[in-house]
Amino acid sequence: MGKKKNKQLLRPWCWYCEREFEDEKVLMQHQKAKHFKCGMCPRRLNTAGGLAVHIQQVHKLEPENLPRIENALPGRDGYEVEIFGMVGIPAPDVADYKRRKEIELGLSAGSISQPPQKKAKIENKVYSEEELKAQLQAHKALMGVSSSPEKPPAPESSAVYGAPPQAYAAPPVPASMMPPPGIMPPMHMSMGSPFPPGPSPPIPPGPPGLIPPFPPHVPGLPPGLPPGLSIDPAFPPGVPNLPPGISPGPTPPVPPGISPPPGVISPFAPPIHGMPPGPPPPGLNPAFPAPGLARPPIPPPSGWPPGGAPVLPPPQFIPASQQQPSAPPHSAQSQLDGNASSRPTQLTLPNPALSQTNPEFKKPTDLKYKDPNFAPEEHRGIHPKYYYHAKPTDGATAVAEESKGKKRARAEDFL
Amino acid sequence: MADEANLLTLPSPPFDSISQVKFSPTNPDHLLVASWDTHTRLYEIGEKGGKESEAKAKFDHRAAVLTCCFSDGSHGYSGGLDTAVRELDLTTESVKVLGNHGGPVSTMTWSKESGALVTGSWDRTVRLWDPRSSTPPQSTLSAPERIYQLDIVNNTLVVAMASRLFHIYDIRNMEKPAQERESSLKYMTRSLACMPSGEGYATASVEGRIAVEYFEPTPEAQEKKYAFKCHRQTIDDVDHVWPVNALAFHPTYNTFASGGSDGTVSIWDHKVKKRLRQYPKFNNAIASLAFSCDGTKLGIALSYMWDDGDAGLKTAERPSIVVRKLGDEVKPKTWPGN
Repeated sequence: MGKKKNKQLLRPWCWYCEREFEDEKVLMQHQKAKHFKCGMCPRRLNTAGGLAVHIQQVHKLEPENLPRIENALPGRDGYEVEIFGMVGIPAPDVADYKRRKEIELGLSAGSISQPPQKKAKIENKVYSEEELKAQLQAHKALMGVSSSPEKPPAPESSAVYGAPPQAYAAPPVPASMMPPPGIMPPMHMSMGSPFPPGPSPPIPPGPPGLIPPFPPHVPGLPPGLPPGLSIDPAFPPGVPNLPPGISPGPTPPVPPGISPPPGVISPFAPPIHGMPPGPPPPGLNPAFPAPGLARPPIPPPSGWPPGGAPVLPPPQFIPASQQQPSAPPHSAQSQLDGNASSRPTQLTLPNPALSQTNPEFKKPTDLKYKDPNFAPEEHRGIHPKYYYHAKPTDGATAVAEESKGKKRARAEDFL
Repeated sequence: MADEANLLTLPSPPFDSISQVKFSPTNPDHLLVASWDTHTRLYEIGEKGGKESEAKAKFDHRAAVLTCCFSDGSHGYSGGLDTAVRELDLTTESVKVLGNHGGPVSTMTWSKESGALVTGSWDRTVRLWDPRSSTPPQSTLSAPERIYQLDIVNNTLVVAMASRLFHIYDIRNMEKPAQERESSLKYMTRSLACMPSGEGYATASVEGRIAVEYFEPTPEAQEKKYAFKCHRQTIDDVDHVWPVNALAFHPTYNTFASGGSDGTVSIWDHKVKKRLRQYPKFNNAIASLAFSCDGTKLGIALSYMWDDGDAGLKTAERPSIVVRKLGDEVKPKTWPGN
């Protein structure tokens, strides 16, 4: 695992739409075709700047009338950032992307992104009076007290602490203040951060004016823990699955934006692996019977006539399926198992970071199937007519049960 | 119509939508059919005017069956919403549960080379089962997304997932994927079929489009890949675009058939990038397609595909299975001996 995998995982990606590519050449072709294509003529430019100049000069459009960059994520459709392949991506976006990638791939924090944010520089020195004054002013400005009309002078040293508020929405959380992995952060916010706890503000403090690309993906909120985080039993609890060579470090870079909301167990807390995270999305029942528990005494989904409820014969275990419990608990399974009493009314993405959106059509189009994230069968599978609450031991008892002739409502009853 | 003569409708079709049809690898008259009515059925196809077609065997499941396949002529497998993987003995009609997935079993295929059953599930795992061993599953592979489709040719296994992801494995080395790809189609992957020639695969999306891709990772080979539109219709300047639910390759001619929710079946020669034939439209969506092992028949499953949710169920036609006798239309124009 480890390094090699990382290389392969971190493929070149497009800043405008966050697609991944085999190599940078393809990425550049993609950018030319998708983002730097002139809407008014067939010309394709190499960069956003090139496109801007082209549109202004060839099509005589005023700079303020430039069309936004096509197919870009919200906030990334401007011309301010000069992107060429992977070159020119703003550093916060890179860090943010890496962090999301880690979560998505179930890697431990920091395994792709090296220490993402520099430790805030705190110099151990005696401050001169001017410096102290400047800092006080900066602090006041930050707190909204405008004691002096003019802006506080930018201090020469201690860049972050003295910075005027518009330079950084918040000082990056000093790395050393994060709890080491394996310990639940008491409250994710370390002191000094103006962010309210919770999944609210987006990822890292980016340059002003840059709207972050996505609503923050809250890991651990959907029941699907990223693969590897929840399911990898190979790693003893308490030891984060870090690839060799990368120190667990004092820096699980939980950025303010993507730390789980209060009450949700931090995905970085391994002892509680596999547990469904706190507040489940609507429609999901938090009940989570331990595998092997008898069928809960709850009526079957509404589609079943009362008599059709499966009556479990004494379990006859087939040795084969006894092996089952060794199979790692899966999110999909926990979704199902978590629904002992109620049928899920909506589908939940196991990995929200991979969420898809259908591209726009150029011509008026009637796309017959519009959900980009779930197949029709998945929707059909949770319909009351079809929904089946699976239990881990089902397989073992299935045969016995079927042979008893106790059958669920037949489809023809509905036709 | 003359074309009708080539069509044979099977008796006692499933009561609810058909999820998959598969032909036996040895008997061109045996068709296995998985259905949402919780049954897997085995049909024996007869002749017009001769022996009648009949439903030979029926296997009951606890929930809708989403997928089925053959291993040899007398054994089949099935999986579905009840998460169990079952081995079906087609002669004795007995069932053995091999084990479970953590979620509904969405797709499966039989690997001749390794004598293993490969199953894929929405639980984001691919599992390999050795039916002879008493302790299946042999192995479990985690995938980044829900598995939608699987197909295999020789030792190359293609796994199509949600979020338009593809993994290509060498079945002899399942440690990690040999290749990880993103679909060249921009919309959800709907179907997948590997070329019997072993060069590549065809995949189709919900947005009436088919891509032909090649395994060889070299730029020259990759340059050959392409995609094209199909299963759509322009009505009053609006493009109506249907999902392509089914793809199947002809076992000898290396041409393939596609079926969509629009009710049409087309035969394509992907080498010359031409459509060889479009059959008359059915009044129901094409759910699944399969060629018989000798390539003389095409099994066509017609049923409602849930494209409009349960609202569409009220107006949906009843499911049916039609077997089409094939002529030269499935042969490439350049086939030797033409």
